[in-house]
Amino acid sequence: MIYTYALVAIAACVAIERFHNRRAKTTIVLVLAVFLAVAPRFYGNDAVFSVLADAAVYVMLALGLNIVVGFAGLLDLGYAAFFAIGAYTYGMLASPQFGLHLPFWVLLFLAAALAALFGALLGAPTLRLHGDYLAIVTLGFGEIVPQIFQNLTKYTGGPNGIAALDVPTFFGHSFGASVMPYYYIALFGIAAALWLSRNLRESRLGRAWMAIREDELAAKHAGIDILRSKLAAFAIGASFSGIGGVLFAAKLALVSPDLFGFQVSVLIVSMLVLGGMGNIVGVVVGSLLLTIVNSALLPQINSLVDATFHTTVDLSNLHFLIYGAILVGIMLFRPEGLLPNRERRAELHHAGEAAADA
Amino acid sequence: MHEFLAQLANGVELGAIYALIALGYTLVYGILELINFAHGDVYTFGSFVALGILVGLRAAGALHGAGLVLGITAALVAAILASALLNAGIERLAYRRLRKAPRLAPLITAIGVSFILENLIELWQGSAPVPFPNVIPNPQLQFGELEVGVQQIVVVALAIVTMVALHFFVQRSKLGKAMRAVAQDRDAASLVGINVDRTIAMTFLIAGALAGVAGFVGGVSFGSAWFLNGFGAGLRAFTAAVLGGIGNIAGAMLGGFLIGLLESFSTWLIGGQWSNVAVFSVLILVLVFRPSGLLGETLPEKV
Amino acid sequence: MSLLALSGVGKRFGALSALSNVSFEVEEGAIFGIIGPNGAGKSTLFNLLTAIYRFDEGSISVGGVSIAGLSTQRIARLGVARTFQNLRLFGNASALANVMVGEHLILGSTIFDSLLNTGKERRERAEAERRARELLRFVGISGVEEQFARNLPYGTQRRLEIARALAARPRLLLLDEPAAGLNPSEKHELISLIRAIRDAGTTVLLIEHDMGLVMNLCERIVVLDYGEMIAEGAPQEIREHPRVIEAYLGAPA
Repeated sequence: MIYTYALVAIAACVAIERFHNRRAKTTIVLVLAVFLAVAPRFYGNDAVFSVLADAAVYVMLALGLNIVVGFAGLLDLGYAAFFAIGAYTYGMLASPQFGLHLPFWVLLFLAAALAALFGALLGAPTLRLHGDYLAIVTLGFGEIVPQIFQNLTKYTGGPNGIAALDVPTFFGHSFGASVMPYYYIALFGIAAALWLSRNLRESRLGRAWMAIREDELAAKHAGIDILRSKLAAFAIGASFSGIGGVLFAAKLALVSPDLFGFQVSVLIVSMLVLGGMGNIVGVVVGSLLLTIVNSALLPQINSLVDATFHTTVDLSNLHFLIYGAILVGIMLFRPEGLLPNRERRAELHHAGEAAADA
Repeated sequence: MHEFLAQLANGVELGAIYALIALGYTLVYGILELINFAHGDVYTFGSFVALGILVGLRAAGALHGAGLVLGITAALVAAILASALLNAGIERLAYRRLRKAPRLAPLITAIGVSFILENLIELWQGSAPVPFPNVIPNPQLQFGELEVGVQQIVVVALAIVTMVALHFFVQRSKLGKAMRAVAQDRDAASLVGINVDRTIAMTFLIAGALAGVAGFVGGVSFGSAWFLNGFGAGLRAFTAAVLGGIGNIAGAMLGGFLIGLLESFSTWLIGGQWSNVAVFSVLILVLVFRPSGLLGETLPEKV
Repeated sequence: MSLLALSGVGKRFGALSALSNVSFEVEEGAIFGIIGPNGAGKSTLFNLLTAIYRFDEGSISVGGVSIAGLSTQRIARLGVARTFQNLRLFGNASALANVMVGEHLILGSTIFDSLLNTGKERRERAEAERRARELLRFVGISGVEEQFARNLPYGTQRRLEIARALAARPRLLLLDEPAAGLNPSEKHELISLIRAIRDAGTTVLLIEHDMGLVMNLCERIVVLDYGEMIAEGAPQEIREHPRVIEAYLGAPA
């Protein structure tokens, strides 16, 4: 069942990439949206929509990171830190922890703002660094943030985190135990993230990012404020992650520091790499594929193996192997990802394409 | 005072291990401008190889008298060879074809390799730390207020001997000179007849060998090996390399000892749970305020 | 008042003096040339003008504003645009996108306009695209709009870079060896293009090796040799200047 939804979504994405007709694209998007909104009434169960809601959160995160890595060309290896900041915003302000029970909807925006603020705070001193160095600094930041949440036990519940988070309400109606509200909110979140991503890519700011990615010195000479543009990428990307964090925490009704480690950052980078950095639709496909493998395919193979061979192996610790294999395999054999955008494909197949055109 | 000296000894011991690993980062970065993210896992691999040999020999009852010295030597040599070959193999299979790729591609690949290695080591050795055979006798020696174990002395001595050997190797040997030439200008080096591929491969081999030594002494020092050890140790060592000035061999050693001391004293003074924060804060501060490190030189951007 | 004024400008790299005591003024509406043998400091001078390097001595002002301490981006805001000796296009973007990046400074949409695709953003984008097409036509390369800059022929890339620089509507355009690598007919077209640029109101300062081109095109010329200014004047004066003849003897251009 889950594969039906995932495959429909992926097929729609591929079709969008293949069609060049604007009207055709719009039609596909609308049909897909209606399908994803209506189909749950007839087909599926809570378990399926729980996985799909998680998948949708990851799509949002990947779209956010895509702004930083894909658009502005800045490798952020600590992106999970902003996810943590969003989740802890909800965890600390909508739970018995401080007796604060701020509304879920307010916290969505507050978390976006806080994550953006921390993105800017991290970015301001570090965005002068180039390439690998920036990547490592962000990695360091990504390690520090969960560690701080873990250490400040008095405020954050320490290693155990905070449990029994508030169940969100919608005009007085509690979400209850149903996962459907999260599914719909996350769908809406994806729609918004896609819209914003597309706006940005086609905008003055998006062109400035392209210029910075391609040639920072030439970009400077065009009068582009490099630091400001990079900060904008960091802050906007982080805000997507902050919103994802709130959704994630509210659905799980729990936050703990071990949910936001380096593995999460690498998982999201893997989604981008798999789908094709910089390409909005490719990123969606990459994150759907990886989430489905993680939360549906692997467990199923696992139980199949166990049932067949009467074993109790744990394939869940193959996750890292899969991320690693994706990163290495794609970089070596198809660096533009499964669904690349025009620019990145050209960039990564420099010699080949130039020869073909000559 | 007693506690201070104990932490000092501790920090030096940790620092020796970090310095050995840091040298691997620095050598590779110096020549390829690549952060070999998998380097920490090469260190872990070395640890487990040494551990395996020692466990095997102990089970065979071979670790007595002269057999003990031979066994320890065998474990050390095996760790060196295994790590060196692994590191060179990674270069050959993964990094070599990315030399002309866009800048982020090799780093992303290196992270992928790191994840693969970690997972394979986990599949091989399990997800819990494995105790390292306690074969080196460890009587405590007293120097005034300072109390150190024989193991600590062995660890630090082995590390220092290795580093001194490396220093002379890079300064004096033909290969060392080739390495420095390739690091400065790959095209020019190849014009004067240096085999660039071979030099880079040898650099990875040497960096891996150093990680092997670190794997052995780290196992002895921490008393265990764990599949994720390389991640934390690797990041600390990388921080050390950056602190000293990446690409600079003396800098990596200095940085290693400083980070070791920082870790041991921050653990003592503010608690072990803050040592990660302390180390990474140093990393960020150094990169922001003095990206060339303590001993590095700043180079202007070429136009 | 002159548009660009240099007075006693000097730059050293360590013990090496790359430029010393360079003083000249470029009048608004001029086509001004800088020539000199290799290593004379011409590119260094351009790099001082756009703050890639900082000058150690003297003063430089653009439109009466001192550029000492200003960043590259701030200098661009003063109306200075440039091309590069070794082309620095955004190779993996379309020609059109390259020029539209050049328009960055004349557009006013904010981050929020960009995020929300506001009416302002959309209007500006349409305008920017129209102007970019016009500029490509102006420099004589319409038809390549959608092609990647990297895949264009060399001469076209040179013109594209000029179009990108012009897109910011600069007061002063710095051209770093614009004729390098061009064939005679392309050089001929380049001369008319540069004249057209000046006639449209942009002052042009260019570095060039091709003596014939400079003599033909420039109204005033400065000659650098080993980082020092050895002559300044109209083409005819330069041609007859003893120190220039001396400097170029053995290396006739």
